[in-house]
Amino acid sequence: MDWLRGLVYAFYAYVLIGWVLGGFLAFRGVNRLDPSAQSGTWGFRLLIWPACAALWPLLMLRYVRGHQQPPIECTAHRQAAGREV
Amino acid sequence: MSVGYGAVGWNRQKKRYDFFLVLGIALYLGAFMGAGAWLFPDVTAETLMIRAFGSAALILLHLILLVGPAARLDARFLPLLYNRRHMGVTMFLLALIHGSFSVLQFHAFGDMDPLLSLLTANTQWDSVSGFPFQQLGFVALIIFFLMAATSHDFWLVNLTAPVWKALHLGVYVAYGLVLAHVALGVLQAEQSPRLWLPLAFGFVLVASLHVIAGWRERACDREQPEEMGWVKVCSPQDIPNQRGVVVTVSGERVAVFRDDQRIMAVSNVCQHQNGPLGEGRIIDGMITCPWHGYQYLPENGCSPPPFTEKIPTFQVQIREGSIWVKSLPLPAGTAVEPAVWGGES
Ligand code: HEM
Ligand code: FES
Repeated sequence: MDWLRGLVYAFYAYVLIGWVLGGFLAFRGVNRLDPSAQSGTWGFRLLIWPACAALWPLLMLRYVRGHQQPPIECTAHRQAAGREV
Repeated sequence: MSVGYGAVGWNRQKKRYDFFLVLGIALYLGAFMGAGAWLFPDVTAETLMIRAFGSAALILLHLILLVGPAARLDARFLPLLYNRRHMGVTMFLLALIHGSFSVLQFHAFGDMDPLLSLLTANTQWDSVSGFPFQQLGFVALIIFFLMAATSHDFWLVNLTAPVWKALHLGVYVAYGLVLAHVALGVLQAEQSPRLWLPLAFGFVLVASLHVIAGWRERACDREQPEEMGWVKVCSPQDIPNQRGVVVTVSGERVAVFRDDQRIMAVSNVCQHQNGPLGEGRIIDGMITCPWHGYQYLPENGCSPPPFTEKIPTFQVQIREGSIWVKSLPLPAGTAVEPAVWGGES
């Protein structure tokens, strides 16, 4: 069961890093990723903290790449229109 | 356009729902533990807590799963649907308390790490009566955590709706895991098999309501037949002035609007959070999303300056008294000549 022990400790490490980076993202980082977050309240930031902690690799990647808008969803119509031109 | 994020979008109605939700849960937990302590005096308080919170989470999970199809079948359930996220987060918290107490009682006092103990204490994967049901609950709890944690609108926008929806469809995986967790757990604890009955009843109710609602929905989402690249919608007088109707074309819904004599069509999906534009109205000459009020000019699908949102548009014609929409969408923000209808508005 040594591999399982390793997995459990890796999980703890991920959660710990996520907790710190997620806090940074929720209170600072998201302002750059989504303009609507700039006027976000404290309550909003506390509420998104847990998922920032869980999804930190995704958000950090966007942050490092300098994304300044949330992605635009790719609907069937946008795809079909894109094929034509 | 931009609306700053707040914490919880409470209004008076939602507050009332949340009040009754919390009250109902408190009464249930109190009654469960009171009756349990009275009927089974030798069961410990921890065990009663574990069972009370676990069963409360399970009941709430059923309500959550029933609200979706119920609202599609009967609009009177819609207010419950709008409150479903709060129900989901509450359900997660109940399950979290149940799981935490279980870990505390069964795994925290050895010399092994509690999580490792939870995963390794029982590994009889080939046994039914001794199956490691706690691991199933753990995986379900992780799924519920991800759903509860991403329930804020911020995540809907930043993950995009398809990803968010896929994540939240995880509720069905988690539901299956929880059913197995409870069935196998009850089997192991040698509790009365009468508990199987409500469990089976709940499952049959959830499953059948989903099948019925899905079947009805499919009829309304059926693609309109095409004729030489055009799709017939309805006649102009069928659209109330400054309102829209919705048809499915090219794999997605299209909103066809009438503003006096002018007929215009755009993709039904709001760029903000995929609100149903066809259920909105034309206000000040602009299609206004019913959800948060983003606006688009119907003739080109663009938000008025300084905003930059754009949605795909469709060519429209009136032939023999009917509106026809070209089935191929134009790129987002393309200007289209409105079709002009000669009739009375
Ligand atoms: C870390 C996660 C979890 C652990 C360690 C865990 C552990 C347990 C244990 C030890 C029991 C048996 C209790 C007894 O019979 O005395 C149990 C039963 C139960 N669990 Fe979980 N569970 C977890 C997650 C969940 C989740 C996510 C749900 C669902 C929403 C859930 C719902 C239930 C229910 C309804 C019962 C039966 C209660 C009863 O015996 O009356 N559990 N769980
Ligand atoms: S979805 Fe928010 S305004 Fe349309």
